[in-house]
Amino acid sequence: MKLNKVLLLTFAIGVFFTSCSNDDDAPIVPKGDYENGILVVHEGNFGQGNASVSFVTFDLNTVENDVFNNVNGDLLGDTAQSISFNGDLAYIVLNVSNKIEIVNRYTFESVATIDTGLNNPRYIAFYDGKGYVTNWGDGTNVNDDYVAVIDLSTNTLASTIISVEEGPEEIVVSGNTIYVAHQGGFGQNNKISIINGPFNALDKTITVGDVPNSLQLDSSGNLWVLCGGKPSWTGDETGGQLFKINTTDNTFTSMDFGGTEHPNFLSFENGSIYYYLGGSVYKMDGTATALPTSAEITGLSFYNMTVHDGILYGVDAKDFTSNGSLTSYDLSTNSETNTATVNIIPGGIYFN
Amino acid sequence: MRHIFIIWLLAVGFSNVAVAQLDSIQKLEEVFLSDGKLVQYAAGSKVEQLNDSIIAKNPVSLTGLLSFNSNLYFKENGFGMVSSPSFRGTNASQTAVIWNGININSQLNGQTDFNTMNVTNFDVIDIRSGGGSVQYGSGAIGGSIHLGNSLEFNSHFDNSIRLSYGSFNTKMTNASSSFGNSKFSGNVNIAYVDSDNDHKYLGTDRVNENGEFDNLNLNVNLGYFISDNDVLKLYHQSYNGSRNFSGTLVAPSNSKYEDENYRTMLEWTRISGAVSSKLKAVHLHEKFKYFENKDNNIFSFGKVNTFILNHNFNWRLSNTLQFRSILEFNQFNGGGSSFGDSERSAFSATALINHRPSKNLEYNVNVRKDFTSDFNNPLLFSVDAAYRVSNLYIIQFNGSKNFRIPTFNDLYWQPGGNLSLEPESSYQLDLGHNFRFKSLNINLNTYYITTKDLIQWRPDNTGVWQPINVAKSHSYGVELEGQSTLKFRNHTFTFSGHYSYTVSENLETNKQLIYVPFHKGNLSMAHSFKSFSMFYQQLFNGEVFIIGNDLDGFNVANIGMGYELNKKGKVGYNVNFRVNNLYNKNYQNVALRPMPNRNYQILTTIKF
Repeated sequence: MKLNKVLLLTFAIGVFFTSCSNDDDAPIVPKGDYENGILVVHEGNFGQGNASVSFVTFDLNTVENDVFNNVNGDLLGDTAQSISFNGDLAYIVLNVSNKIEIVNRYTFESVATIDTGLNNPRYIAFYDGKGYVTNWGDGTNVNDDYVAVIDLSTNTLASTIISVEEGPEEIVVSGNTIYVAHQGGFGQNNKISIINGPFNALDKTITVGDVPNSLQLDSSGNLWVLCGGKPSWTGDETGGQLFKINTTDNTFTSMDFGGTEHPNFLSFENGSIYYYLGGSVYKMDGTATALPTSAEITGLSFYNMTVHDGILYGVDAKDFTSNGSLTSYDLSTNSETNTATVNIIPGGIYFN
Repeated sequence: MRHIFIIWLLAVGFSNVAVAQLDSIQKLEEVFLSDGKLVQYAAGSKVEQLNDSIIAKNPVSLTGLLSFNSNLYFKENGFGMVSSPSFRGTNASQTAVIWNGININSQLNGQTDFNTMNVTNFDVIDIRSGGGSVQYGSGAIGGSIHLGNSLEFNSHFDNSIRLSYGSFNTKMTNASSSFGNSKFSGNVNIAYVDSDNDHKYLGTDRVNENGEFDNLNLNVNLGYFISDNDVLKLYHQSYNGSRNFSGTLVAPSNSKYEDENYRTMLEWTRISGAVSSKLKAVHLHEKFKYFENKDNNIFSFGKVNTFILNHNFNWRLSNTLQFRSILEFNQFNGGGSSFGDSERSAFSATALINHRPSKNLEYNVNVRKDFTSDFNNPLLFSVDAAYRVSNLYIIQFNGSKNFRIPTFNDLYWQPGGNLSLEPESSYQLDLGHNFRFKSLNINLNTYYITTKDLIQWRPDNTGVWQPINVAKSHSYGVELEGQSTLKFRNHTFTFSGHYSYTVSENLETNKQLIYVPFHKGNLSMAHSFKSFSMFYQQLFNGEVFIIGNDLDGFNVANIGMGYELNKKGKVGYNVNFRVNNLYNKNYQNVALRPMPNRNYQILTTIKF
């Protein structure tokens, strides 16, 4: 992908000279090769050490795979679960490697690696100079799950960990409160842990629907929790539920899906909720009192999706041993705009 | 080992033994070999035998022995870790492992882990290339590996104790005793291996951190002539192992794996005139426990108990025509953390005909049908022939239909287990040329295998992984092997080499399958002079594809030397020194799992 870099450099020089000719504007210098585009994080295969991050331009016409490896000359690790951003830094959480790679989000140059104190880390969120990392502990042990606390100034783990219920997964921060969804690890759980930020301790745990798989904050102080329900193979199938938690007093309301419906991949943009259910994408107004009955887009096969600037981006992991794809859909027309081939098992889509 | 030699002569084609002697030889085979059909009904199949002197040179690991001395390719997760064999572009569950005539591939995953087998347990190892499901059942698609024990019915009492110490604090001990007279014979072998296995990761400042293992093997084989025509034999093998599973270069591991295998077979052979019958009752037990965290007592497990009744009936209609029927009943009882208690039963009927219409031509026609409680099985067949063109040149041909049945994991694993699976089925053709010169043997084989309904685990539309009969593949290639023995005065030199070129493609994508090297070869050389002996062996394993990438090939060598003290006395001592990975190559057999750096081993044997 040298061409890409040359183009960017040309563009940068062009911008530089254009800028210089106009003394009123400060020069706009790109922050790195990977600014203005999409980052796709790939799990890769469990145990095969082929996790990766791809950079894709917004139009999906240019793809650079293995960005971390290209920049740092090192393998990223095993099973990249998620990326979270804090300022100019990107924190890539590697589940099977038990580590977090910290890179500059625009240049992808390695800044630090945290590889102690983590055990099956999943997601990270930031509050008051600290990073909060959800950890399953041993996947087979239901009693050792925790949230690790990282001092962001030294990138070291604090000595205290916050013990939580089985299978902590997504984590978000709202004001002084940190919310953790307990999808349940290898099993199924139905809890949200609420951590008091200033006290750096678990405040309480509330029960939601089975398998809370995604969290989204809206602009009016609500936390939306999408619960997938228990799958049929458990012999105890339950339908999905959508919870809306008021973050000021943690009271909530909920809506029920059908008993065999298992929604996932919640997104929120401009007052609307988006989710994926049975190969289709549904849209609901944030003020609606009932779930939508008809889908926006059907016939999809997503391993994850997200909505950004009116565009829906979905990744397909195909047969999990071939290259996956990233596809974009214009939500004003619900039509596909472009598709790009990415790496093995794309699992997350982020915007830079 | 004289009878083994005779059998070897037969196996390689046609001996010059007069027809009159054949009767008694075949009687010997029925008595000595639990698996007589490997010799008598295999004229058109390539069978390579590793004799006890090759086995004795490679006591460290069965994986090492076979990868340096045959066409087999091993996927080994590191020294002592899980190691699975395959050849001719197939995979480990398409490679049958046969213990004294009985298929012992795991009912859970369809494979045999060769690092759970101790080399010293076996007297003879045969590698039968090409499809063999008619004789050996599920999984004999690429070929089969036969691990055998022999009982000698003559007056003897031989004992040996072997002690070995090597790098990474690797200790190996084994004691064996063989005893008998003309009516009774027995041998007992006990072997223990223990290693810290903390070898260097060459090119880094790290070591293999979670690789320690130990295992205990016990082998007991007994035989007794109840009458002149009846022999009763008991074979038993126990394995108990505990291994920490090493991590990879990018993923640490804290896991542990404990497994046990118990195999017991009671066999009654009756020979009267042209008719012989063999009744076997077999119990196989396999069990594993997997601890994600070795410091915790939380584990998942799986186990299967297999009961087999097998009857072989062989009828020699004339000196040139014989017939064999095999009836086998199997009952499998499994259980585990990921599936409840489940059972299945299987019955198979096999008919084999061996005909030698002329001195130079021999052929076999075989059919088999299996009946399994969970799924339908195809009718299997094989036809093979050998033609002696001249005293120096034999042509071998075989064609067969073979299968692999779904495993317990495929059928019952929760979630995903799929009860609507069908067996994988496969056709294969094989053409072989054998050249036998005075001190040089050369085999050249070409083959074609096509397999459909390959069972692969893929996620369904709800994200649950499920096995389905989905892919088709074909493989074809060339195998070349040669052996030569030269003697001058007191010097004996033996050379052997194998090379295989393998194309194995997924017919959906037309891409070479992962972990199938296009090129694999080995060379070994041994020299003995009076009490002194030495060997050198080299393995070349070509580049392989892995998921989304490729893994570099490697070239590694071992060297060893030995000296025999007190050769003529009643008590013999033997000292051997061995260097593995002589050139200290940094190599990986499986991606991101570095193999050991150069390492040393000293070995002493006392025979009395």
